Amino acid sequence: MAEQQVEKMIKREYAAGFHTQIDTDTLPPGLNEDVVRFISAKKGEPEWMLEWRLQAFRAWEKMEEPSWAHVNYPKVDFQSLSYFSQPKSMEDRPKSLDEVDPELLRTYEKLGIPVHEQEMLAGVAVDMVFDSVSVVTTFREKLKEAGVIFCSISEAVHEYPELIKKYLGTVVPQKDNYYAALNSAVFSDGSFVYIPKGVRCPMELSTYFRINEQNTGQFERTLIIAEEGSHVSYLEGCTAPMRDENQLHAAVVELVALDNAEIKYSTVQNWYPGDEEGKGGIFNFVTKRGICHTNSKISWTQVETGSAVTWKYPSCILRGDNSVGEFYSVALTNNHQQADTGTKMIHIGKNTRSTIISKGISAGQSSNAYRGLVRMNPGAEGARNYTQCDSLLIGDRCGAHTFPYIESKNPSAVIEHEATTSKVSEDQMFLCQQRGLDPEKAVSMIVNGFCREVFKELPMEFAVEAGKLLEVSLEGSVG
Amino acid sequence: MSDFQQQALQLAGQQDNPDWLAQVRKTGAQQWLKSPWPTRKTENWKYTPLAPLQRSEFQQWAAKTSGWQDRIEFLELDATRLVFVNGEFDADASDSELPAEVVRFGDATADQHAVIAEHLGHIVDSEQHLFAALSNAWASEDGVLVHVPKNGELSKPLYIVHVSTPTGVPATANQRLLVVLETGARASVIEHFASTDDEQDGFVNSLTEVNVGENAELRHYRINLEEENLLHVGGIHANLQRSARLRGFTVSLGSKLKRIDYQINHCGEGAHLDLQGVYLPKNKQFVDYHTNVQHKVPHCTSNEVFRGIISDSAHAVFNGRIHIHKDAQKTLAELSNKNLLTSSKAEIDTKPELEIYADDVKCAHGATVSQLNKDAMYYLQARGISRDEAQVMLSFGFINELLQDVAEPAVRDYLAPRLAGLFSSNKELLQHLQYE
Repeated sequence: MAEQQVEKMIKREYAAGFHTQIDTDTLPPGLNEDVVRFISAKKGEPEWMLEWRLQAFRAWEKMEEPSWAHVNYPKVDFQSLSYFSQPKSMEDRPKSLDEVDPELLRTYEKLGIPVHEQEMLAGVAVDMVFDSVSVVTTFREKLKEAGVIFCSISEAVHEYPELIKKYLGTVVPQKDNYYAALNSAVFSDGSFVYIPKGVRCPMELSTYFRINEQNTGQFERTLIIAEEGSHVSYLEGCTAPMRDENQLHAAVVELVALDNAEIKYSTVQNWYPGDEEGKGGIFNFVTKRGICHTNSKISWTQVETGSAVTWKYPSCILRGDNSVGEFYSVALTNNHQQADTGTKMIHIGKNTRSTIISKGISAGQSSNAYRGLVRMNPGAEGARNYTQCDSLLIGDRCGAHTFPYIESKNPSAVIEHEATTSKVSEDQMFLCQQRGLDPEKAVSMIVNGFCREVFKELPMEFAVEAGKLLEVSLEGSVG
Repeated sequence: MSDFQQQALQLAGQQDNPDWLAQVRKTGAQQWLKSPWPTRKTENWKYTPLAPLQRSEFQQWAAKTSGWQDRIEFLELDATRLVFVNGEFDADASDSELPAEVVRFGDATADQHAVIAEHLGHIVDSEQHLFAALSNAWASEDGVLVHVPKNGELSKPLYIVHVSTPTGVPATANQRLLVVLETGARASVIEHFASTDDEQDGFVNSLTEVNVGENAELRHYRINLEEENLLHVGGIHANLQRSARLRGFTVSLGSKLKRIDYQINHCGEGAHLDLQGVYLPKNKQFVDYHTNVQHKVPHCTSNEVFRGIISDSAHAVFNGRIHIHKDAQKTLAELSNKNLLTSSKAEIDTKPELEIYADDVKCAHGATVSQLNKDAMYYLQARGISRDEAQVMLSFGFINELLQDVAEPAVRDYLAPRLAGLFSSNKELLQHLQYE
């Protein structure tokens, strides 16, 4: 029976795998300084922004693609990618929802994104990024009343150049790593959030990313600044159509939490994972990092179910005293998916605290690795870290790995790390089935229980979605 | 190629090259030359700088010296004792009668030569281990073979002492042990590395290869108590056959460079590994343990416990890797690494790794870093125990949990006062606590 169920699971189709017929302006493949200049010109960027991009590009040319992650994939030919694609109808930016191309809106509707304000999950302000440009931002007026700025980053470059100049690249410098440098050179759009001093953002902010066009890379850049004493919760979701070739997604996310501020960043990543032979799928090479000032808190929550290859380490630099970093992750890999994901917690300030809860689920022939770093610097007096990494293996052809780096230079810092690996046990299944649950329900219940600690950190709407996503992915995978 | 790599080859050129070792030496030298010199970017040497090796000029072999006897204390036990001084066999300090199972490479019979030829350099994967390649390139007749035939037993433990003494210039020694236990055989081997206290740099490269046959059992103790100026890179590489058991214990003080690799391969079903280790670097010392347990077949178990106390400006590194291969179902593997930092300048870098390709396995690892438990300190002090005394009691207690499990009482009795002595220089206090 188990065999059949595994079969069934593998045959599950990618529900977001449709392609939308929209006329687009796409730059021919290739990458050189002219492409960087073209992107910058297309967005009408000021000189300093172009200079910043060119610096990054020149650094990138000298860098080498990292190979230390526990993943195998054909080398990406960066010259065969197109670095800019925008829906044609975007030429004249829509002023309101009514002006948006109905095709586009239908795409988002298919994905179940609450773009219309009257929809069930209204209350979520969405910044949609379609291929390379930000389509529309809902709820902008309401946010403006509270003083919150939520717009696309290209708009922010024009309207809030001082903020961009002050913060862009301060958390993830241009030369941070290969993909961050690439992103800094060619990033086409992304979200910008600014929460003023003492403001609690009145609603959850959300971005939805979708790669639509063939042979394009998506390079979005997100910058969130939470001023002193402010609070914001931000959601991010991603999908892409089914394609035979691999597509590249190299994003950079920078969070700045000033004194007493709190940022909660949640991701549900459902990029196209490739078919059952491991053909196609998204290469997801993402750099996410936040910096915490005194008494502030950054919390990363991620549910990773998609992408052919994931390379992603949302990190916290706990610079200020008493600051808090959290990382909650569920990573599910199936078929030939490969994930190398985890976090870095750099404790610099006194009494800084961090919690890492990572749940990896591997099925099929996939490979799922947790790679984390906890570093206690000499000044991290009284710092505390707790790490728990659990892996669940489903099937005997998958792999689950744990590579935690623990470095401590302060005797008063306390670090605890635990990791376990197990499978859905026959006893657990027997107990559930004996009480009248069918095997599928039992597995889904056990897996949901396994991930519970992470799901409870997600905002409500996402928790429901994430639970469902896992349920579908794992349907009947164990018997 | 680094300077040290060249120097090491020149050293190999100064040695005798007996015919029967020529092949091992040649392959070793080739691999040594081919291997890139580790840097901070080499994952296995990320935290372990090899600069001390580069800094000193190791241009000659250390020769045997005399006058060290009253500066080295031996373990007190009824055992067969073999002593090597600076890598050379010392017949005077060793037992004159050796059991038939134990022989120096140079004195081996034809049958024993065959055993050496079969195993020497074949248990270790010298492509992966740079310094094992070096040990092969330096292979000499001053190695030890322990070969216990089917269902045999070594009547007394074998006690091998490697003594390093100053020779006036930075000098090098190569130390080699091969243990082959046939089906059902049993043996207990103690390797004791010691040096006389001095300021002279020295470098020791040691390699132990072990094959534990079906149902055989080896108890192996490795005691690294050399002084600070002796650089030591060592490796223990073992293959465990069906239902074989290896019970290992190791203790290390730090030095300018001390690196010990344990590579254990579970090759037969039902094999079991118990490995316990203690590291206690102080001052500006450095110590690095890398363990790599390869579960290649189903139904095997392994249990590793390592504890370290890092004081002053010392730096310790621990890397514990467990690799469960595809189809190695029903494996049980556990690893625990606990560390105490007792000074604001001490540093620990630990990485317990799991790499798993089979689903029906139970694996767990844990790592902690902290200082002495404040509640425990308070509890003891509230009962009238002085702060110093409480510190010694708790520190020693932390490693004593492992010492108490050591099966050989002589090892325990030898180590307890010496290790306790690291936590306090107050003789009276130690006597009072009955650690002296």
